[in-house]
Amino acid sequence: MSNYKLPISKINQLFKNKELKPSELYAETFERAAITESIIHGHLELFQEENLKKALNSDKRYEKGKNLGTLDGIPIAIKDNINISGYATTCSSKMLSNYISPYDATVITRLKNEGALFTGKTNLDEFAMGSSTENSAFGPTKNPWDSSRVPGGSSGGSAAVVSAGSAIASLGSDTGGSIRQPASFCGVVGFKPTYGTVSRFGLVAFASSLDQIGPITNHVEDARLIFNSMKGHDPRDATSLIESKAKQPKLKNAKIGIIKELMEDGISEDAKKEVHKVAKLLEAEGHEIIEVSLPLTKMSISIYYLIAPAECSANLSRFDGVRYGNRVSGSTSSEMMELTRANGFGPEVKKRILLGTYALSAGYYDAYYGQALKARAMMKKEFTDIYEDVDYLISPTTPSDPFKFGEKSDNQLEMYMSDLCTIPANLVGMPAISIPTGLSSQGLPLSVQIMSPSNTDNTLLDFSESLESLVAFTEEPVINGVVS
Amino acid sequence: MADKIDIKNVAKLASIKLNQEEEDRLKNDLSMIIEHFDALSKMDLPDDKISIHPLGMSLNLAEDIASKSLTHKEALSNAPESKDGQFVVPPSLD
Amino acid sequence: MNIIPTIGMETHVELKTNSKMFCRCHVLDTESPNESLCPTCLGLPGSLPVPNKKAIEFITLLALSTNCSITNDGMFHRKNYFYPDLPKNYQISQFDLPVGTEGSLEIVVDGEFGTVEIERVHMEEDTGKSTHIGSGRIDSATSTHLDFNRAGIPLVEVVTKPLIKSSKEAVAYIEELRQLVIDLDISEGKLEKGNLRFDANISVAHEGDKELGTKVEIKNMNSLKSLEKAIEYEISRQTKMLIAEENIIQETRHWDEKKEVTSSMRSKEGSADYRYFSDPDIPNMILSNDFVNEIKKIIPELPSQKRKMFIETGLSIEDANNLGKNKNWIGDLYRSITKITGDSKSSFNWVTGELQGQLRKLEIKDLPNWVTPKNLSEIILLVKEDKISFTSGKEILANLIEQEIVPEEFASENNLIQENNIEEISKIVEEVIENNSEVLERIANGEEKLIGFLVGQIIKISKGQVNPSVAKELLLKEISS
Repeated sequence: MSNYKLPISKINQLFKNKELKPSELYAETFERAAITESIIHGHLELFQEENLKKALNSDKRYEKGKNLGTLDGIPIAIKDNINISGYATTCSSKMLSNYISPYDATVITRLKNEGALFTGKTNLDEFAMGSSTENSAFGPTKNPWDSSRVPGGSSGGSAAVVSAGSAIASLGSDTGGSIRQPASFCGVVGFKPTYGTVSRFGLVAFASSLDQIGPITNHVEDARLIFNSMKGHDPRDATSLIESKAKQPKLKNAKIGIIKELMEDGISEDAKKEVHKVAKLLEAEGHEIIEVSLPLTKMSISIYYLIAPAECSANLSRFDGVRYGNRVSGSTSSEMMELTRANGFGPEVKKRILLGTYALSAGYYDAYYGQALKARAMMKKEFTDIYEDVDYLISPTTPSDPFKFGEKSDNQLEMYMSDLCTIPANLVGMPAISIPTGLSSQGLPLSVQIMSPSNTDNTLLDFSESLESLVAFTEEPVINGVVS
Repeated sequence: MADKIDIKNVAKLASIKLNQEEEDRLKNDLSMIIEHFDALSKMDLPDDKISIHPLGMSLNLAEDIASKSLTHKEALSNAPESKDGQFVVPPSLD
Repeated sequence: MNIIPTIGMETHVELKTNSKMFCRCHVLDTESPNESLCPTCLGLPGSLPVPNKKAIEFITLLALSTNCSITNDGMFHRKNYFYPDLPKNYQISQFDLPVGTEGSLEIVVDGEFGTVEIERVHMEEDTGKSTHIGSGRIDSATSTHLDFNRAGIPLVEVVTKPLIKSSKEAVAYIEELRQLVIDLDISEGKLEKGNLRFDANISVAHEGDKELGTKVEIKNMNSLKSLEKAIEYEISRQTKMLIAEENIIQETRHWDEKKEVTSSMRSKEGSADYRYFSDPDIPNMILSNDFVNEIKKIIPELPSQKRKMFIETGLSIEDANNLGKNKNWIGDLYRSITKITGDSKSSFNWVTGELQGQLRKLEIKDLPNWVTPKNLSEIILLVKEDKISFTSGKEILANLIEQEIVPEEFASENNLIQENNIEEISKIVEEVIENNSEVLERIANGEEKLIGFLVGQIIKISKGQVNPSVAKELLLKEISS
């Protein structure tokens, strides 16, 4: 196995034992990027030049035996909706193609304090709205397993670069599945923590009550490592949680519920098969598997496509060409703003802003947005009640294996349905992880999703790690004729 | 439901100039999505509970201690147009 | 049939916190634009709001002091509209769950008490400042310059019910609110600096009409004078229209300070639908009873309470109200002095008139520590008991402000004590009459103003120690006999 596919703890051991230098790993990652990026287009910008010096500094720290943390010298890719001071933050939008951020997101500050290196910024669906990266203003990212297929989205770039080996790990953001769905499509691990455990300060908001930053990695233990480096209360985010003690699910002889509504119509046979396969493995380990029903799960797409657009319609109002962004001139400031927004936003972003504006407008609020908030409260109760009985919930991460470019871009509802299994975790705030478990009949990666009650993230990760070793998924994509 | 979308007004509220083709397409797309919401809008749900935030969380207020953040230069660094230390826009009407 | 005006006031009070409402940028009083900014108040992508604890304490103080009910489970909303001076193109404000509701404020109009009903008190953030560049009028501006230093400064909006009946009441209300926020120490309360900004909603209707007339909002009144004039102008404009049965349009009008008229503002198309929704970046704001009780404990003496106390000392409502508008130490000084002198009116006059006047002239901000209620009372009593003249009292006060003196000793040393002994004065009167027979004759012939000349002679001979009124009285008695 190449160094860039090793677990971070192993790499750290190699660094400490002076068997490998951070600058060597960094060079290796960029060599890998040179092979893969021309096909994959996962990075929008590579930081090679600037970070080489930082890698050499990391070398020196290890030489002195004074590394900052386990992440010291680890090249991590950052989704381009997370601010790094001095670099562009484009959100894959024409609106921000020239925008240079003057500040670091809290997660960036924390990773820098650990000594992590950044490979660059990764591609996404414009403002994180989409499930395929086809909505990027700078061209789509390709799936490392099959370049005629999408890598998923919106964190498609972040998932693809980890799969392709041009970064050891990456950060994504997840509003309705934007970490887990691309992780599944690219055959890597994607973790969405409990809402509020990782600071959102510096993450360009799509839907504030749903957005959460999380890691995309080759191994569950890497996800845990990065998550624990980033988490914790941030005084600059009013929704950031102060660590609270929750009743933890069991690690042994646990009770696991398969969500009935996520094993019905619209879910491919391949996807269902993976869930059953995993269930068997868990049963053999002494866990109990039951089927559970969460009826409102069927409403989750509707609830989500009211709440997220409503919030985004206000969150994206700030892009007006006044203080930053690509301005289109006009004779009055209001004309300038209308033209700037017409020119700067792509079709999907416009659609969601207008949908949210409509849902909040006079006369429609109660029927749509107001109704969605009530349904969300009911849904939360359904999940709280079910966790009285089970420790974890299991479902496919995605209804199918990766689809082809253009396959769903003409059918918006079908595209939206690809987030069916991932949306509930965002609506109710609980942690959820996608773990690759096998290949579909077409030889493409498939995953299962495990969920647990809010504030039980580390237990979920522990449980997932044991599942990961049970499944023992070791397949790798072949890119440009080269296996990673 | 779909006929009710006054796409021109919605675009005006959202401050996005649409051309005719976009207006037609978006009106059609939005109508389809909104139709999909029908089942949800018709649900009989209790009025007493709404969920704005996914988790019940308490508001942590900040102490009133001021600190310096962006420099004047940083604040204006991304400005499309500026003059005399101010952001400049075409005339705005009250 | 009478035509009755109805007025509602919306007032923005800028709070005097160190940092802004949702970020920790300094609240700066500076002419240099765009100096106090961060990603949050500049609305940069990825920034988040965190509410200021002090501002929440301040608004709670104000809500409690205007007798409002406190909303324990409140929240912040986003008010959506596009305008270049609004960095996020939504303002964080409060919609259906404001901090305070259903309150009232006691006011004083023409020496009488009145009450203004408060509908709501809510928290929001200020916008940036636009300067329209071009040939004066907004319509002909060529560009707009934007300074965001003000963006995000905490504002409390106080909205009254539409129950105010006159421009005088409206002015008295603003004066009372201003005094209240100053006494609560939550705002500088300077109108000229825009610490208090107010709009008036005005309508007129025939007396007895069940419904209010069409509401017209008046903006751009920068002083109490312009508030009064604008309301009066608008009432008369609407009254004429109502009599002529013309249609009054619901609109926003601009007060033109120079022309002293209100004129229709160009309306922003489609701006009426603000699409309020709760801000998902900010958890619900729980103001617990414990918190509210803690705030109750730190409420200082309010203007209405001060007024009540001053009235109990014997002052009229009007004097009590005016006294309350002074700095606290003036009121305290008055209280101590009136206790010693037992004369509220002259204590009030001396403290608010002579003492403040002299201090202002000398540009002294703090009272020198040797100027005490005791020695000030001494001066007041010397004058009151006719031992010295009012003029001498002022002279002694001026000296007291300069140096530590004992007023009565100073009066003696400087021969300021008036002679009130009738026998002594009579002697001088007789002397003057003897020496001025010519003048007496002219007085007898009708030149009465010469009496003053004779009084002057008496005072001169006594070297100023004779009480002039006593001297005049004795003189007249002598002449007529």
